[in-house]
Amino acid sequence: MIKLIEKIEGEAKLNFNFKDNKIDFVDIEFMSTRNIENILRGKNAFDALVINPRVCGICGHAHLIATVQALEDCYDNLELSNKAKIIRELTLNFELIQNHFKWYYLTMLPLFGHKQQVLKATFPSQLMGKAIALFGGQYPHTSYAIVGGVVCEITEIDIIKLQHYIAQTIKFVEDNLVKTESENFLTCKDADVLLDYEGDLPDILRQIKKEELLEYGKSYDRFISFGENSYFKKGKSLKTKVSHNISVEHVKESEMPSSFAKNVSFKDKYYEVGPLARAMVNKTPLIADAHKKYGDSIFSRILARVCEISQLLEHSKKLIKDLDLSEQSYIEPSIDISQLNSRGYSAVEAARGTLIHKVEIENGIIKNYEIITPTQWNLSGGTKEKQGVSQKAMIGLSDVKTAELVFKSFDVCSVCTTH
Amino acid sequence: MKNKMRVLWLSAIACNGNTHSFLNYPYMEQFLDDFEFIYHPVIDSHYTLEDIVSKEIPCDILLIEGAISKEFQRADVSVVDIIEKYSKIVQKIVTVGTCATFGGIFRESGYEETSGMHFDQDKPSQKFQDLIDKTISVSGCPVHPEVLVNTLYAIKKNAALKLDNFLRPKEFYAYTIHNGCTRNEYFEYKVDNHKFGKLEGCMFYDHGCQAPFTHGSCNKILWNEVNSKTRAGLSCMGCTEPTFPRKNLFSTKKNMAIPENLPVGVGKRVYLTLAGISKAFKIDRLEKKLIDD
Repeated sequence: MIKLIEKIEGEAKLNFNFKDNKIDFVDIEFMSTRNIENILRGKNAFDALVINPRVCGICGHAHLIATVQALEDCYDNLELSNKAKIIRELTLNFELIQNHFKWYYLTMLPLFGHKQQVLKATFPSQLMGKAIALFGGQYPHTSYAIVGGVVCEITEIDIIKLQHYIAQTIKFVEDNLVKTESENFLTCKDADVLLDYEGDLPDILRQIKKEELLEYGKSYDRFISFGENSYFKKGKSLKTKVSHNISVEHVKESEMPSSFAKNVSFKDKYYEVGPLARAMVNKTPLIADAHKKYGDSIFSRILARVCEISQLLEHSKKLIKDLDLSEQSYIEPSIDISQLNSRGYSAVEAARGTLIHKVEIENGIIKNYEIITPTQWNLSGGTKEKQGVSQKAMIGLSDVKTAELVFKSFDVCSVCTTH
Repeated sequence: MKNKMRVLWLSAIACNGNTHSFLNYPYMEQFLDDFEFIYHPVIDSHYTLEDIVSKEIPCDILLIEGAISKEFQRADVSVVDIIEKYSKIVQKIVTVGTCATFGGIFRESGYEETSGMHFDQDKPSQKFQDLIDKTISVSGCPVHPEVLVNTLYAIKKNAALKLDNFLRPKEFYAYTIHNGCTRNEYFEYKVDNHKFGKLEGCMFYDHGCQAPFTHGSCNKILWNEVNSKTRAGLSCMGCTEPTFPRKNLFSTKKNMAIPENLPVGVGKRVYLTLAGISKAFKIDRLEKKLIDD
């Protein structure tokens, strides 16, 4: 049976094959593409900073950061201040956070039979939008990160405003998501202890346990994460064995006959990306405990994504303390881009996982551009013999409704996938 | 029960940027009390997209996001067919964002005859001629949430909105982005030494800022209620205009050292004369750091 999965920043068609009343194979089809990579070809390299945020309305900022880093990789010895690096990391954190709030309150809650909570999604995500706009001028679709730094200068008063947005967002988490002081949530190492708290997150986690959904959504238990920064580590995790020695060279994209989305694999194997992958690579104690008890199920996947909200808010507070306002926001590159014939790539952690951009420029003009999005990793549609991560996670389920829950636990983004 | 206005939010060739910009509207609770989405890309609705395309659901306002091409489908139906069906029954059509209005970035996405609803960039399109009286355009990449929402309230109130030649409400698009920019003095007095990463300076001279000839309220309403791109130090990219995206966006195209695009309604000769005079001011406050030691 074919089901159109809606409200995933677009749609996807899932073709379910049943055998003995259990899902045996799911074919995933994305029905369109927007050819962003073609649009970029022949344009001035810096114009990619304006076009690429428009890959996606909900994670466009990650595309901006990936673009600027890929372009900067084209230079030798480009100078970048620590201040610019921190500001970029902060705004990217804020985008991840707004995304996770929207996913939880708009997408996840209804799948568990609860009413969608629009205001609980918009209130904290608007605060995060303000925090980005403070530096970038607006959210969504700023292009404030440019080769050599960021366009903005910030003052002590900006920092004070920023701290208020963060404090207010933390308060929202404490009043709604997990009703306790954030410190308790952040230092909690036992997933079962978390179930004793009140709040929107423990409610759903208890429901997963009560309705015996704990086995649902398990896949290869194979994770990867390439986007390194002051919080996230680069690495892969097989079961619980983590290695940090991985290279983007081994990431391959391949065409699929039935869909506009392209497959992505690492050394010919499919990997899960996203908050659960990041937590496994980072060995976050609470998530490691959930994984030990419940594997790579929807329980761990949902917990990891929501947990990242508090972790990134806390880490952002630390990053602000590291800011030295006397540093330059922007250092003009010594070579004009029109003199450059080069290639560059970048890998950043977007809300849904590793995002890779690769660019080739000739006299400052884009000759080639390649974008690999997180949803492509998770939704790579393999054959029955070699299934993709989300395909495998749906095998054995007995109904389409649960399969939709499992599918959406990956926080699917159709527009990114069909860039 | 309150009589809510029924709204269909239809995405064509889009990035969903307008969808998420709309979610930044600060008084969402009030809005959802007055309007009901029969379909929206992320907000739950009573109907599915499959219902929308296969049936004819009662609706008052059709919102279109994204560039339009007959070849582009949603739930296996051409977006043009969906638009045609609902445009007959609604009171008003609103093209949300620059793609739906002029074609925008996704005009180049390679689908057959991709354009905005009534305009292919600045050229009038013949496609939906009979619907032109029903349409209001709120351009921008993305649209400003207040511009969209207040336009919807104007429709609800039957308020007479004066529109410009591109069907945009003059209330929002009679201004230029330049109006209200905190860097205005550097423009007025021709202090032309802008460097990125500074509070000071104007991006018009060298860094491609299109604010003086781009229509919109970015510096009047502000984004996310706190800032604007030009205030932050990023050039206006002209995203509300039919020409978006121009080429070489971070640099100002000049002829004989004079910017090719001048403020709306300003002639080259007058500009040169005035620039010469303005430069004579040499205002100390604008030559040094704004917040100095």
